Amino acid sequence: MWLPFIGLLVGILLGLSTGIRVPDAYTSYLSIAVLASLDTLFGGIRAHLEKTFEEKVFITGFFSNIILAAGLAFLGVHLGVDLYLAAVFAFGVRLFNNIAQIRRLLLERWSKRKKKDLSASP
Amino acid sequence: MMKDRMMIFTVITTIIGFMVAVQFQTTKEPDVRDTRTVMELRQELTAEKEKQQELIEELATQEEMLEQLQNTGNVENVIEEAINGLKARAGLTEVSGEGVLIEIRPYFDENYQGGAIRTVPAHLVRMLINELNIYGAKDIAVGSQRIVSTTPIREVQGVTLINSRRMTTFPLQVRVLTDDPEQLHHYMMTSEVKEYLQYENLEFTSAPMTDITVPAYDQSMRVRYMAPVKEES
Repeated sequence: MWLPFIGLLVGILLGLSTGIRVPDAYTSYLSIAVLASLDTLFGGIRAHLEKTFEEKVFITGFFSNIILAAGLAFLGVHLGVDLYLAAVFAFGVRLFNNIAQIRRLLLERWSKRKKKDLSASP
Repeated sequence: MMKDRMMIFTVITTIIGFMVAVQFQTTKEPDVRDTRTVMELRQELTAEKEKQQELIEELATQEEMLEQLQNTGNVENVIEEAINGLKARAGLTEVSGEGVLIEIRPYFDENYQGGAIRTVPAHLVRMLINELNIYGAKDIAVGSQRIVSTTPIREVQGVTLINSRRMTTFPLQVRVLTDDPEQLHHYMMTSEVKEYLQYENLEFTSAPMTDITVPAYDQSMRVRYMAPVKEES
């Protein structure tokens, strides 16, 4: 359960210690990639809780979302349209939806467990 | 099965963590790139070389003084000489020699409709002094005020103050000492500041002089941000 958090920490430490910097022009791509990956991650957590998780869908979704988002931002820059805003909007809405759904699922589980405990205790 | 899933999540969170850290670093400390051209670099190199040359010369004079101090029994004379030299360099003594006399006076043509001209604008005085320094001026006095390294040139209620003294008399005389008065005169007659003065209805004349006297700085020097060095025994 704690493994993903450790992974996150390791990733952050790795990123900070290597000191890699992206050129200024590409920061928007990276930020959108981060957003896309967060969206996929929360989607995965939600699917895991709903017991509809599929590894292949998750992994392909992760990479294709990142590439799609960065590609969209790139296209936007070259067309002179802020297309990355579309990606930000779409991912943002989905991120919130996913988090809300995760919260509901967790609350449901928690109340179920409580009920079980109450019926088992007397 | 569950273990595999956790591994996948771990890998994904690691990647996310890495990306977040990189993004954080990028936005936190933008890399300041050196965008100077070869020309600018050369200029800087030349300036640094000049500075080095000055330092070397300074070192030579200091060493010479040290030698004098070590060889002569009369230390007082040497010290006094050094102090006098420093005073002269700081602008605390009256100096004379060959130089250029610049006179700034109002200039009206028949179509002039503005009000009276009371003073030379401070930014033009500053510009003039900068140009004089660029073209090799050694000592400068504006009016009766000696320009030293701390001289303030300000504008207060439309009147230019130099060393906190009002500069309202015309013609405003600028006395400049230089090694080559003829050349400085020619530089000044073609300088940009002449043009700028014309926009303000002022004109200047410059004349090379064989003997010109620049007064001493008559106020007490205020030295800030400096402290005597305590010699280690």
